[in-house]
Amino acid sequence: MSTASTEKRHFSINQIIPVVSAIIAIVFVWLGLSKYGFWNEQQGPMSGFYPTIIGIGLFLMSIVGFIFSFKDKTPIFPADSWMAVLGALGIIAASFLIGLIPSAGIYVILWLRWYEKLSWKTTLLTFAVIMAIVIGCFVLWLQVPFPRGMILDAIMK
Amino acid sequence: MENFEFLLHGFQVVFTLENLIATLIGCLLGLIIGAMPGIGSLAGCALLLPLTYRFNPTTAIIMLGGLYYANMFGGSFSAILLNIPGDTPAIMTTLDGYPMATKKKRPGQALLTANFSSFIGGFIGMIILTFTGPALANVGLKFGPVEMTTLLLFAMTSIGWLVGENPTKGLILTLLGMLVASMGMDTLTGSPRYDFGNVYLLGGVPFTPFVIGIVGFSQVILLMEQRNTAPKLVTEKLTLRGSMITKHDVKRLALPAIRGGILGTFVGVLPGAGATAASIMSYSTQKSFKSEEPLGTGAIEGIAASESANNGAAAGAFAPLLALGIPGSGTGAVLLGGLMLWGLNPGPLLFKNSPDFAWGLIASLFIANVLALAVSWGVIPFLIKILSVPTKLLIPIITVVCIVGSYSTSNSMYGVIIMFISGVVGYIMQKFQYSYAPLLLAFVLSPMLESNMRKAFIISRGSVQIFVQKPISLVFLIAIVGIVLFPVVRYFLMRIGVIQPKTAR
Repeated sequence: MSTASTEKRHFSINQIIPVVSAIIAIVFVWLGLSKYGFWNEQQGPMSGFYPTIIGIGLFLMSIVGFIFSFKDKTPIFPADSWMAVLGALGIIAASFLIGLIPSAGIYVILWLRWYEKLSWKTTLLTFAVIMAIVIGCFVLWLQVPFPRGMILDAIMK
Repeated sequence: MENFEFLLHGFQVVFTLENLIATLIGCLLGLIIGAMPGIGSLAGCALLLPLTYRFNPTTAIIMLGGLYYANMFGGSFSAILLNIPGDTPAIMTTLDGYPMATKKKRPGQALLTANFSSFIGGFIGMIILTFTGPALANVGLKFGPVEMTTLLLFAMTSIGWLVGENPTKGLILTLLGMLVASMGMDTLTGSPRYDFGNVYLLGGVPFTPFVIGIVGFSQVILLMEQRNTAPKLVTEKLTLRGSMITKHDVKRLALPAIRGGILGTFVGVLPGAGATAASIMSYSTQKSFKSEEPLGTGAIEGIAASESANNGAAAGAFAPLLALGIPGSGTGAVLLGGLMLWGLNPGPLLFKNSPDFAWGLIASLFIANVLALAVSWGVIPFLIKILSVPTKLLIPIITVVCIVGSYSTSNSMYGVIIMFISGVVGYIMQKFQYSYAPLLLAFVLSPMLESNMRKAFIISRGSVQIFVQKPISLVFLIAIVGIVLFPVVRYFLMRIGVIQPKTAR
């Protein structure tokens, strides 16, 4: 008897993607059939026609993916990686308060100086490069009206 | 000859100061991005997309085309100097490029061999593109909704099935991409659907922030894992004079580069195969030809075969993209998405309706090829500096560009939030070995597939028989079945011992 067949199948995070995709498929099929319609004798295919077909296909593939997922190696998600996510989330949150460009600038300094522990020289040089890209390309050239944040908006009023 | 006249007209279109500067910027950025391991052409195109909004569509796509193309040159730099391919198509270049740089102590010559071979392969690819592009468009003119439906299904299936190691994962992402694309508005009636009561979702998931997140921001999160590893370069200094190749070297690289260029172009035309497959096939083919030294020991022939093929494939991939609106890879999907954003509809009518654009783009690839060769030669003395940029510095730079870029394309924080969510999802997908190329391709092609599929069903009044009654459609259906069954058949042949499984190198 092979080793694989004697091993018990344990649920792990490997099943997350097939399960989530199956749920998405069910939602799309259900809404497609109940809300948007599948087929009309006069008009032919309706708004829900295509998503329903694709949703059924996704559901079937998710089942296959679920079965195969037990053979996959479980990936490791290092805690460090999520710091990048937190950093970006910090910029988004702070931009509502102090605006997008100041948030991005503060993030760069905090990240390089306190998180990466780089020298002030490297930090300020990188900060200058990033600000040159952002202000030069996006503000001056593309003239993007970046949000100023609640504080500056309140002062300007 | 008619095609050459059109091509000359294309050169007239491209020869404006703005277009030439755009090509040069695209080439420079492509080389730098290609040289840095872990970023890649797809992320490069995605991050550059917001900057192109200021240009007219021709200049914008010329810039992106230059970036995509020069990226193939740049990928070999880190493959040779670090033994890490800058982009996946350069994977075969490491096999001979790195030994040539280390064991033979000829890093500069290895770089120039790669550059010249890339130039030859790309040039061959562009000549073939000049003829096959319009010919393919003429064939495409005969396609109705039925044929287009099966063609699009073929393209999506082949990408989903062939990209990555697990076809099931590829197909799950293909179908997921189709569903995400169906959110917002019905493509035929314009009525809202799957907006979940959210005003922002009425307009659907915006393309550029979605791509920047999936490709760019997810890459930042992945880079966090390698941010403390310093690159180990094979040399401390490179000079132009010390990098010159001899006449004998040119003789050795010429034939493998020509063969690789031709093979690569035809592989590049096939959806799903792409530059990586082309370079692997070309390298394997080179094994059956005479090489002065055995491949894998630093042979010039090995570098030439793989580098010319991946550049040939990059050029060849433009044929189905322009003529049929079918991208052959994730980067192609980003370029196609960009074209659609600028109001251009690639497909059989592109060469007729927008000849300036179509031929201007092809002509710009020729210019990008020359510029990429010149720039890649010129940056040799600075390569050590470029490759020494620590990942620690790249992480905040790319993060800020992702956020600012996605805001600029939507003028709203909604774009930033979409970028953030898709970035985290893209990271999780990659950790579970799901390749995002099928998702991107499906996202871009899905509206076209839905529109054609529904029209086909309206014509047939709901009968699926119409797909087997039309010969072209039937051919595509057979091809789809072939693609789907191929891994299954291979698996069973391996199980019964008819073919041997591949062993790890």
